[in-house]
Amino acid sequence: MSSDIRSVLKQLDVKELYEIAKFKKINIPRNWSRTLIVELLALNVSTQDIRNFGTKPLEKRIESRDVSAIIVKDLVKQFEDVTAVDSLNLEIKQGELFSLLGPNGAGKTTTINILSGILKPTKGTAIIAGFDVTKNLEEIKTVIGVCPQEAAVFKFLNARENIELFGNLHGIPKKELEERTDTFLELLGLAEASKRMAKGYSGGMLRKLNLIIALISDPKIAFLDEPTVGMDPRARRKTWEFIGSLKDQNKTIVLTTHYIEEAEALSDRVGIIDYGKLIELGTPQELMEKYETKNLEQVFLKITGRRILEGI
Amino acid sequence: MALQSLVALIKMELKKFIRQPADLFLNLLFPAVLTIVFIFAFADPELGMSINSVVPGLIVYAVIFVIMTIAQSFSTERQEGLLKRLNTTPMTSGEFMGSQIITHMLISFLQVIVVFTLAFLLGFRPDSGIQGIFLALPVTAIFSLSSVGLGLITATVSKTPEAATGISFVFILPQMFFGTFIPITSTTQQIAKFIPSYYLLDALKTIFEGDWMNTNIFLDLGVISIVSISVVIIGILLFEKYGSA
Repeated sequence: MSSDIRSVLKQLDVKELYEIAKFKKINIPRNWSRTLIVELLALNVSTQDIRNFGTKPLEKRIESRDVSAIIVKDLVKQFEDVTAVDSLNLEIKQGELFSLLGPNGAGKTTTINILSGILKPTKGTAIIAGFDVTKNLEEIKTVIGVCPQEAAVFKFLNARENIELFGNLHGIPKKELEERTDTFLELLGLAEASKRMAKGYSGGMLRKLNLIIALISDPKIAFLDEPTVGMDPRARRKTWEFIGSLKDQNKTIVLTTHYIEEAEALSDRVGIIDYGKLIELGTPQELMEKYETKNLEQVFLKITGRRILEGI
Repeated sequence: MALQSLVALIKMELKKFIRQPADLFLNLLFPAVLTIVFIFAFADPELGMSINSVVPGLIVYAVIFVIMTIAQSFSTERQEGLLKRLNTTPMTSGEFMGSQIITHMLISFLQVIVVFTLAFLLGFRPDSGIQGIFLALPVTAIFSLSSVGLGLITATVSKTPEAATGISFVFILPQMFFGTFIPITSTTQQIAKFIPSYYLLDALKTIFEGDWMNTNIFLDLGVISIVSISVVIIGILLFEKYGSA
């Protein structure tokens, strides 16, 4: 029974866990991790309690993992003579960590830019959390977080000021924003440098700050475009762990990366894109079995290498 | 318009202004130095100029340099991907442009105060008394809208911050030569009538003379308002359509 309730609780995000605790008059210290909160609630709360509590029916909440967070329909992006995205069709489930892989210039960033509303598609569309990118950009901006390829941070602001600026643009209440900022700075190891202006940061630190800004609004869907480029191996591993932990919060993550082992370790599914077309799709395991390789990197090289040799 | 976003953006812009030495120099130190140099060099009755005739030009001079600050700032933010990133947040373009306008109006206020204070210490005594400065502040702030608009137009056509610096002079130089302290002849006056700074200069001179009932003030204020609002609207539209990505 306790393991049932635990699995139910794991589907909820931290805010909801705190709301349930408040509803059941259980006091949870502010600095507790999500795992500890789940454990405490599992001992004190029944499935019925959660059903009684929820304004959103719990079954629906859990069923929502099978709902598509992103649906891409016949998406095309043309830049003069170049077709950067060519009739792309794709479906990404809620709570899924999906990696988009491909060589340089394959169309990964253009795809992310369209999905996040930065670029308009030439043809086709995409539905993000139920909203159409060609019609409902304002709504989409409230549910997404974007970590761009370049470290787009204000260099004359310190890390805390940068994070709080973007948090304010998302309308997060002051106290909540301060708490979230502290948590993220601590988690990604930027707490000590948080009062130094970002122009003095190393490449890796800027990348971490770039990632925190993308996640400060607690988005349902996060687009992470090569988030670990320029980080040393240790920082990269730590960031992978952090990105992996976002899956527990039922967030949908679309990741592009050149570190294939990163995609292999983190992804539920992988899409390989080249010349703007989706040429392979599946779980890392499925792709490795299909191409009879030991790792995803070999799959990637087999697919994209062959296409280059064949001049496709 | 969300107040929380607007306040956050204004705070960010002001921090940028304070923490970037180049902006501080161009917008505050440069007008301050010019005020001292010009008053000592040109405010000489033998040259046909008094302190009272130099100060309005110095105020105009300071405000037109906002064109360069804005153009550089927008081009840099575009180059660094910051404008794209801001565009992925729920912030509206009204909040963003509103924050730019309010920040640069505040900076113009500061510029007027710096020029006026230094000039006062060096002997500037407008006939209008202290009331003149209170009237000069809002008139200059309205004019600063045209500098914001011209800065946005410059950023739209400039691919890099370096290009923005050069191109901004297309708008700065004519205003400098036909609408500041440089004497205008009957010939150049015909050209100057097409330059917005000419009307600010004329309005400030009349204000400092204490000639409140002079109908020229209202004419100048009308031209400044219409031109400034039109230019800022054109700047915003052009920048949003062609310059923000």
